[in-house]
Amino acid sequence: MRYGIYVVPAAIVLTLGSLACKPPKTAEQIKAETQAAFNEGYQAFKDGKARTTNPYVSDKENPLKMQGWYDGWDKAKADQEAADKAAADAKAAADAKAAADARAAADRAAAEEAARKAAQAQKETIQTAAARVLVNIHFDFDKAEIKENDRAILQGIADFMKAFPVAKVEIAGNCDERGTNEYNLALGNKRAAAALAYLKTLGVDEARFTTISYGKEKPLCTEATEACWSQNRRDEFKLK
Amino acid sequence: MPRFLVRTLLCALAASGLWAQQTEVVLTATSSTKLVLAMSTPKATGLDDANVAAEFTAVLKRDLDETGVMAVLQERLPADGAPTKAWKEAGAQWLLSTHLSKAVNGDLQLEASALDTAAEKGVFSRTYHANRIVPLRYLAHYLADDLVGRLTGEKGVASSRIVFVRQVSNGVKELFQVDRDGADLIQLTRHGSLTLSPTVAADGRLAYVTYKSGPPEIWGQRKKDGPHERLYPTSGAGGMLSSPVWSPDGKRLAFVQGDRRGNSDIMVLDLATGRARRLTDSNGINTEPTWNPNGNQLAFTSDREGGPQVFLMQDDGSNLRRLTGEGLYNASPTWSPNGAMVAYVSRFEGKFDLFVYKLGEGKAYQITTGVSTSESPAWSPDERHLVFTSNRFGSSQIFTTDLSGRQVVRLTELAGCQSPRWIRGR
Repeated sequence: MRYGIYVVPAAIVLTLGSLACKPPKTAEQIKAETQAAFNEGYQAFKDGKARTTNPYVSDKENPLKMQGWYDGWDKAKADQEAADKAAADAKAAADAKAAADARAAADRAAAEEAARKAAQAQKETIQTAAARVLVNIHFDFDKAEIKENDRAILQGIADFMKAFPVAKVEIAGNCDERGTNEYNLALGNKRAAAALAYLKTLGVDEARFTTISYGKEKPLCTEATEACWSQNRRDEFKLK
Repeated sequence: MPRFLVRTLLCALAASGLWAQQTEVVLTATSSTKLVLAMSTPKATGLDDANVAAEFTAVLKRDLDETGVMAVLQERLPADGAPTKAWKEAGAQWLLSTHLSKAVNGDLQLEASALDTAAEKGVFSRTYHANRIVPLRYLAHYLADDLVGRLTGEKGVASSRIVFVRQVSNGVKELFQVDRDGADLIQLTRHGSLTLSPTVAADGRLAYVTYKSGPPEIWGQRKKDGPHERLYPTSGAGGMLSSPVWSPDGKRLAFVQGDRRGNSDIMVLDLATGRARRLTDSNGINTEPTWNPNGNQLAFTSDREGGPQVFLMQDDGSNLRRLTGEGLYNASPTWSPNGAMVAYVSRFEGKFDLFVYKLGEGKAYQITTGVSTSESPAWSPDERHLVFTSNRFGSSQIFTTDLSGRQVVRLTELAGCQSPRWIRGR
């Protein structure tokens, strides 16, 4: 058998092995190392760097250790810590809730503001439109019939009411001074009713109107002339 | 000879008859003869001011002159101590003596007595007391009323008052009250809106229409001197309300309700139950109701036959008949306190005049002539005068007139007045 093939690997193994091995320590070496370690510790102690806790027994390594197992149990400290913890939890919860409420309130306020602005804008549109169409119509002496020329005005009012379904209008009937106070209140009522009936024929829901009469109690002018009297014989339309 | 004796006997009888009449003078309401009354200077005790007695005399003189049944003697007055005969010769039929005194605590006392100068007999004697809050002129009013009562059998109206509407500012009208002589103006409502159509019950309770809540509502007092509350509608909307009038017994209120079709109807509200009953039939305008003194009939204005005319009906709406015949526009009827007459207004060429319809005769008489418009008549409690509004001096003011129309007197200079009502003071 040729055993020469084992020579090289054996040489490698022997070389690596001898590198790994160290010679055993002598007694003097061990003594010197021990002394050095002692001196280091003593020096650290003198420097004030000595450890106060035992590194082999530490709370950090044993989180499940019950408080009071090793050191004495401090009740006041334990209560304080529990209270602090509870307070901290509550505060955190309250803060979270407050933040949530504030967000909700802010959202609501924003929504209301938007709605209010929209309503305001709508109202202003209605008012602008109303100012244009709600003009007075007039009547002949002692009469309560709608005049031909006023039909266009009433048509305008009907169109306005159809354009703005939320609008409500009060029709007020008035008279000139040439009748008794009470009869004129009734005549004014008849004039308001006439406008209401006409608007109903134009297709507006009559529930959107209220009627009232002021007779001759609220004249626009007081001269005893036809120019003044004809102004006073009127229906007025007011946005409600 | 026998004929001569018969004639003498007849003359003697007639003379004795006349002479008997002289001893007691009582006038009926229709008589136009006035009793001549003379006032001796009032005696005064304890009054602070010499002017007070003079003021009292002036107020009393004016009250007596305005009654229409007395004339106060102004000229050739005898001296105070003169015998009764001297007064009779001066022309006075009654001699009035008065004694005013004021106690230490301020209470007033008036002792008055009247003497018939012909018979030299006392015809009237009374003592009046008033606490210091009551003005002296009220004593004069009470005395004048009692003198008229002694003379005619019906108390005078010197202590009466007028309730009316007055414009306070644009769109605001309130109720006011003033004495018959124009003094002591008091504001009765402060609603700050249109307040119209006052009516006063026999016990003094007010009712009226106010627009304070927007649409018109009927407000008034449920109890004498009570607070003002809403009488109608009791809940919800009431429509176009106007023209409330208390019934003579004060338990019912007639009023007008207008609907959205343009019709106005007479309604009667029973105050106790709060229920309102419709009397007319929704065929046009029915308004301005007025009760007769018995409370079983109403006169009102209706345009059911064309222009406004005055109609009558029972208080349940039956027996409806027309009263006024002539004229195109007759309205504002008001029934006299004794039930025999209905005063109203009639329009001619745009202006109104007062008329009185005598129910017994079936005829109407014109009272005012068309100088300017005369509207809204109301009777005095003694049926001798009408109070109304007229714009003859510019703005609408309150006037009174006797039934002949010859004695038209402005009651107050306040402007912007309407709807006066004449009520007894006490």
